[in-house]
This record gives sequence, structure tokens and C-alpha cells, in this order.
Amino acid sequence: MPAFVNFWGTRGSIPTPASWTRVYGGNTPCVEIRFDEAVFICDAGSGIRELGKDLARRDPVPKTLHLLITHSHWDHIQGFPFFAPSYAKDTKIFIYGRKATEDTTFRVLSGQMSSQFFPVSFSELGASIVTDHLHNGCQEIEGVKVRSFEHNHPGGCLGFSFEKNGCKIVYSTDNELEIQSGDQFPDLENTGPLRNAPEPLLEIMKRADLLILDAQYDDKQYAQRQKWGHSSCFSATDLAIRAHAKNLALFHHDPESTDRAIDEIVEACRHRAARHGSPLKIFAAREGVELKF
Amino acid sequence: MDTQNAELNKTTETNPTWTGIPGATLRRERLTRRRFLEQIEGESSAAQIPLDKDELSLGRASEAHIRLTSKKASRLHAYFRSRGADYVMIDNDSHNGVLLNGIRVHSAVLRDGDVLHIADSVFVYRED
Repeated sequence: MPAFVNFWGTRGSIPTPASWTRVYGGNTPCVEIRFDEAVFICDAGSGIRELGKDLARRDPVPKTLHLLITHSHWDHIQGFPFFAPSYAKDTKIFIYGRKATEDTTFRVLSGQMSSQFFPVSFSELGASIVTDHLHNGCQEIEGVKVRSFEHNHPGGCLGFSFEKNGCKIVYSTDNELEIQSGDQFPDLENTGPLRNAPEPLLEIMKRADLLILDAQYDDKQYAQRQKWGHSSCFSATDLAIRAHAKNLALFHHDPESTDRAIDEIVEACRHRAARHGSPLKIFAAREGVELKF
Repeated sequence: MDTQNAELNKTTETNPTWTGIPGATLRRERLTRRRFLEQIEGESSAAQIPLDKDELSLGRASEAHIRLTSKKASRLHAYFRSRGADYVMIDNDSHNGVLLNGIRVHSAVLRDGDVLHIADSVFVYRED
């Protein structure tokens, strides 16, 4: 059975509905990954609202959902109170985040539904909600091997990889790929060598069918926003090339990036991959697009 | 005005009771937008194919609404479906797939200017 990846929210930081975000979308992160009947939802940004409506139209309607929260920054959780399946009594939602003892995923998700912020409280949700974490960072869920790994992001953040039947998909957003010794940065003319990449990331991402990577900035923007926890599109491209991934979805678009600016980023990254002789396919993650692997 | 244009120019109605302010009215948004595929490469390039039904099929089969003769096209290769205010392309598990702006996709909400490669044909999706 093939795997499907559906982009419901691709924008970083804050929802950005505008005429100039119509193509790539303005909703904050939410990506659905399906292997057979297993439905994984990466992050609960504002895009999860449309996903909830779509799930209700499916036949059969999925009754078990696995929601993986990378971290509790607002743009990754703000859609949860509007996620229709969480109100359905016959639905079970497993929510995975950081280990309960050291993190606040559950507390934050429920906290944003306190009466100061939202009219319906968490305890009134109809679905059975189970909070969990990936034990030792790796767990088999409905036959899919799911791994979590640490990101370089203020306050911490997790990435997730999903593997089944030789198909590997990696969701890795809100990660600052640090400029490493020997890297040419900024590379405004796009002529420099491949940047170095952390070995643990390369191992996790090796030969992935799809990498969904934080690429919020171009090099010029990144130079102004170091330590904000996001990456340059060139650093993401170089990581994907080094990992010998097949496809790269540039993700977490900056709220200031117009559709045309994102097109230009894609073009520059494709040029970079071609210059390095890489067959990597590069595109920008876009709301309403579904891929099949 | 022909029937099609009349349909395209349907607007939301003005509020008949709100006449106190000169020129005051509700917005007049068109309820129907013209959508079409512009074929720029392939068997009948330069053709404009209106997407004027809730569902249109594309493929080699005689029953396909949009017919392709290329052997690279599957019999019912893809569907175009209206979904709310959007129009969606869905690959019908075709052998050679559909490329959206150069990337193989299973389905996609279409946006003006999208380039679709299907078999030997290239289409640009347009909406007014």
C-alpha cells in the first residue's frame, strides 16, 4: 500500500491569509501522513481545521488518529481547538509530544482552551484523548516505525520520521541548521560548496523518499535572523543533497514571503542542486497538495 | 449576452431594503468564475478547454470528457473536480502520473498559472 502526504498548513509563525499567499497558503503547520489505515498528523497549526473537515467526509471516517506535536509554539498548536474530530465521541486521538515529565504539550494544548482563550474547555471534548510520547524516541505505531529526534530551536523541538515497507518520510520543521565551520555563508550568488550537516540528522534522513524541511529564509533573510530557530533554504537543500533524499519539500514559509518569492526560492534551490549534480527534486510545500509514495 | 456569459455575470443580490444611502449596496461578487485549461503542448496545443462542470475526466478512453490520444495517457488518467470555491485535479492512479509544476502529485487544488504535464501534453490552468 502506498503512503500519502497531504499538506494542510505550510506557513510559519502566524496565519497569513492574503492575495499573495493564495498559491502556497496561509495556514500554519499541519501535515497529514497516511500509511494504509494509519493516520499521522504532524502539528496542529491552523491548517488542522480543514483537515478535520476533510476527515469527516471520508469513507470510512478514521476513528483513530495520531497527532504528533513538534513543540508547543503557538503556530504549531493554535488549530487544535478547531479540530472537529476532537469533539467526536467515537474518535480516539493519541497525542505525542515530549515526555510528559519534562514538557508541557498536554498542559499547553489544554491551557489554550481555558475560558480566557476559548469558550469550550478541554475537558468537554468528546473524543478520547490519550497523551503519550515516543518511548526512547522510537516506537512502532500501527505497523509504522516512528522516530523522534531533537532540533535546534529555542525551547526545544522534535522532528519525526516515519518508515514502512522501505518508504521513509521525515517531518523536520523549526530547526536551525547551524552554520558550521568551513561553510560559505551567506552565499548570495549561490556559487558555494555544499554546507556541512550534522551526522545524526544525515543518519535519520538518509535516502528518505520525502524530506519536509524548515526553509523559512533565503540566505539574506537568515543573516538577519540567526538564533531564531529556522533555516536558510540553501542549508536545507544541502542537507537533503547530502542525505541522498529523493524529494525535498521546503516548509514553514516566512509570513512575509509572497507566492512569487517562494517560487524564486524554489528556483534558486533547484539551481543549487543541479550545480552539485544532484537528482533531488525540490518544491515548496503547498496547501491542498497531496503526494503519493 | 449569451447563456454562458449570463451565468458568469451572476452576482450576489443587492439588499432591496437598504436604499437610504445613495449608492449603498452589498458587494457584487461573481458566483461563477471562468476556469479553463490552456493546452500549450500536445495534440491540440493552443486549445482552451473550459472546466465548466462539477467533474470532468481526462484520458484516452472514448468516454473521457477531455480526450488524449497519446499512449502515455491512461484510459481515465485524471479527474478535475469542483470542490467548494476551488477546482481540484486528482490523478486516477494513472501509470505515468501527473506533474504539477514539475513535481508528481496525487491531487492538488489548482491555482491560476499551474502547469500540468499529462502524457505528452502540457496544460496551464487558468481562472478569471
